[in-house]
Amino acid sequence: MDRSTRRLILPASFAALVLALVLLAPVLPLQDVRGMDIPNRFSGPSAAHWLGQDGFGRDVLARLIWGGRASLFIAVGSALLAAIAGTALGLLGGYFRGVVELVTVRAVEIILCLPPLLLALLVVAILGAGTWPLILALTILYTPNYTRVVYAATQQVRGLDFVTAQRAMGTHPLKILLRTILPNVLPPLLVQMSLVVASAMVIESGLSFLGLGVVPPTPSWGLMIREARGAMEVAPLLLVWPSLALAGTILTFNLLCDRLQSALDPRAVTAGGALWLRPRSRAAKRPAPPVPAAPDAPLLDIADLSIAARDLELVRRVTLTVRPGETVALVGESGSGKTLTGLAMTGLLPDTLRLTGGSALYTLRDGTRIDLASLDEDAMRRLRGDEIAMVFQDAAASLNPVLRIGDQVAEAITAHADLSGEALTARVVALLRQVGIPDPERRLRAYPHELSGGQRQRAMIAVAIAGNPRLLIADEPTTALDPTIQAQILALFAQLRRDTPGMGMIFVTHDLAVVAEIADRVTVMYAGEIVEEGPVADVFAQPRHPYTAALIASVPESGAARLTAIPGAVPSPRAMPSGCRFAPRCAHAAPDCRDHAPRAARPAPNRITRCLRWEEVT
Amino acid sequence: MLRYIAFRTLVALFLVWIVVTIVFLLLHLIPGDPAELLLSSGNVAADPQAVAALRERMGLNAPLWQQYLDHMAGVLSGDLGASFRDGAPVIEQIALRLPRTLEVIVAASLIATGIGVPLGTYAAIRADGRADAAISLFASAALSTPVFVVGSVVILIFAQELRWLPAGGFVPFSEDPLEHLKLLLLPACTVALSLLAVITRMSRASVLEVLQRDYVRTARAKGLPVRAVLRRHVVRNALIPVLTVLGLEMGTLIGGTVLVEFVFNWPGLSGYLVSAVDARDYPEVVGIVMTISVLFVLLNLVVDVLNAALDPRISLVR
Repeated sequence: MDRSTRRLILPASFAALVLALVLLAPVLPLQDVRGMDIPNRFSGPSAAHWLGQDGFGRDVLARLIWGGRASLFIAVGSALLAAIAGTALGLLGGYFRGVVELVTVRAVEIILCLPPLLLALLVVAILGAGTWPLILALTILYTPNYTRVVYAATQQVRGLDFVTAQRAMGTHPLKILLRTILPNVLPPLLVQMSLVVASAMVIESGLSFLGLGVVPPTPSWGLMIREARGAMEVAPLLLVWPSLALAGTILTFNLLCDRLQSALDPRAVTAGGALWLRPRSRAAKRPAPPVPAAPDAPLLDIADLSIAARDLELVRRVTLTVRPGETVALVGESGSGKTLTGLAMTGLLPDTLRLTGGSALYTLRDGTRIDLASLDEDAMRRLRGDEIAMVFQDAAASLNPVLRIGDQVAEAITAHADLSGEALTARVVALLRQVGIPDPERRLRAYPHELSGGQRQRAMIAVAIAGNPRLLIADEPTTALDPTIQAQILALFAQLRRDTPGMGMIFVTHDLAVVAEIADRVTVMYAGEIVEEGPVADVFAQPRHPYTAALIASVPESGAARLTAIPGAVPSPRAMPSGCRFAPRCAHAAPDCRDHAPRAARPAPNRITRCLRWEEVT
Repeated sequence: MLRYIAFRTLVALFLVWIVVTIVFLLLHLIPGDPAELLLSSGNVAADPQAVAALRERMGLNAPLWQQYLDHMAGVLSGDLGASFRDGAPVIEQIALRLPRTLEVIVAASLIATGIGVPLGTYAAIRADGRADAAISLFASAALSTPVFVVGSVVILIFAQELRWLPAGGFVPFSEDPLEHLKLLLLPACTVALSLLAVITRMSRASVLEVLQRDYVRTARAKGLPVRAVLRRHVVRNALIPVLTVLGLEMGTLIGGTVLVEFVFNWPGLSGYLVSAVDARDYPEVVGIVMTISVLFVLLNLVVDVLNAALDPRISLVR
């Protein structure tokens, strides 16, 4: 039994207890609810009257249970009636659509244009107070709830293959509705049911409290509270008991609804919060203090970095070096771990993932080195934007839709620099101009959705370079764009390299053509591992790993006589081959490849390959 | 944007017309003669001649369609008829009492938003922690306690036991501002409690959703302090659906403060409705129901338009 089912037990058994109590009321040894005992009015709890006696000397406990019977009868009764009416209308409207939809679903929705209590009052005004007018009022009131839920569910189910198949076979619509669709819409109905019972009780008790609902001397919780109010100064407890019973029962049904919902539809529950908001959660590791760096130290030196989701290793022992002014391309198929490696450098990994080993030594502006892998959220935050910046893949989703572009760029500047007023605006305009946004003075007042895809990506780049970062990580910045726009954005990156000669760049991409254009060195990743690394020209001229060779052969621009696709797919992290991870797809795989995980070999001083047979096959 | 507003306004007007028609039909098609009902007291039958005279005066002898047209013409010119009980124009009573009801709702909304948004945000930030569980339980409990129970218990505690505030009543603001506010405080807080629960839940869910968005990651990538990320990117964006819910809830409250007004003896519109229902004073009932429905529909319209203004994408999407 999983957690969401276990959480159902408490409210479900409470609801069962309440229902059992009121159902068993006639056979329980209770006092007569109408038996008055004026001399003993307002007397406190005693052996004969556990909860004391009310203003007429009647037994409070008996009235409480019988009152619950009246309240629940009305609430459950109208919830059932509304369920029947609403389900029928929703099924018809959702299945037939067109005119039927108009006279069922849309017509019923008019009821939702009236405040609920008002509608109930209106019905009571016309029919007079009493149990049955109340049930009618509540039934009318809650029919649209069911209609909507069933309508939505029916529309979903209706499009599914098995319903289409039945229709094609000529099954009578009524039979399809009852046999096929109804069972499928039951779960949301169940949730709605408990919700309606709870809110029907609120309205019923409210009307009874006003004297427009259940008619005395029939006991009801609303009526009991009404009577107790008059005697508040004499016997305040008389107010407390029915209040507790009423609120408790409604709470029970509300909780039941909430938990049914999460038990029936786990997806509806949003993932819990964000770790970066919890100051202590990341401080487990003690950050290593900065140490002075050698004068020729690389900008970033990643060694044996691993990333895992719980017990699942997604990135294994990645080693990567970026020198000032150098652009390193990180290439691989989806799921190779290239994006995760990039995110890890800014501490922006999703909450479910964490670093499990290795180091990432970064040389700061002041010449000291710091291990990025050891930093907590706060230390990492101070580097972000200022030292290390990131350009994300999907600019449309990565820019805040309700803030103006200019404000989003300005924010990236002020996060690390003390600038304001006109100086700030001037800087924003300059940045937007630098990234090639036309008419920047006007465009800074635009919202992201008012820009084209290419301009959004330019704005995204402006945000990234606003703090003059020394390491720029670009995560597939051209993937979501049209080919012509891709070329423009690539040209922009090339321009950026010329303008800021000291800035290092990690360019994450799956596109080898892009690599040839922009990068100095290329690192090829496969299934969470680095399989090959070297200067771009050398790697393209003579790949030292079968995977790289296959990648190059599969790119139209490579000039190969015939394009060859790589067979198979990247293995899932749950089923990693024990030997070479590429072996199952490799044309040159030998028995040895499947048994032994190859170590990184150095075909040349500046090259790395993770292949056992690189000398023979490349 | 303008086209969007125009379209929404048309839909709203159509809904108002439907509601007015339905209310009219409901009250005229039910069995029982209002004139007879009005003139009979207890079990004594009314004098047939007097009933006939009253029917004539009330225009009940005209065909239904003519009554309907007269009614609609009256509505359009702001004439909601005269009360059966005292002959006073219904519209005057509504004009007098509506502001009092709105006052309670606005005060409650301010209290509920002021506390609910921070509370819900905090619960989301500490999602699945102890504080979150406590806040969620509080919200569920507050949502499950009917207003008249809250009101009664509040009176029991603050008015009767502690004697800090008056138990109920009304003094016009112009006569005694301080006393007016004192009297307003308990009903406003009572209404605010359930509203607070709704807003807290909604804020929590909304913040949790926004936290998963890519643009929050971008904001973090800029190196903004946590507070700035939360304020400018998370809470701001999360507020949009919360405001929608607040608007819808306020609409529901216009007709839903009946119980609070009754409990605290606050002479607002809803209390007027209850007494009209009690006396079966149809012109009053129709007038009040219509006013409330129109406000309800209008408020929904305002919420939609406000949403479009807050979220620049909406007008494009539709």
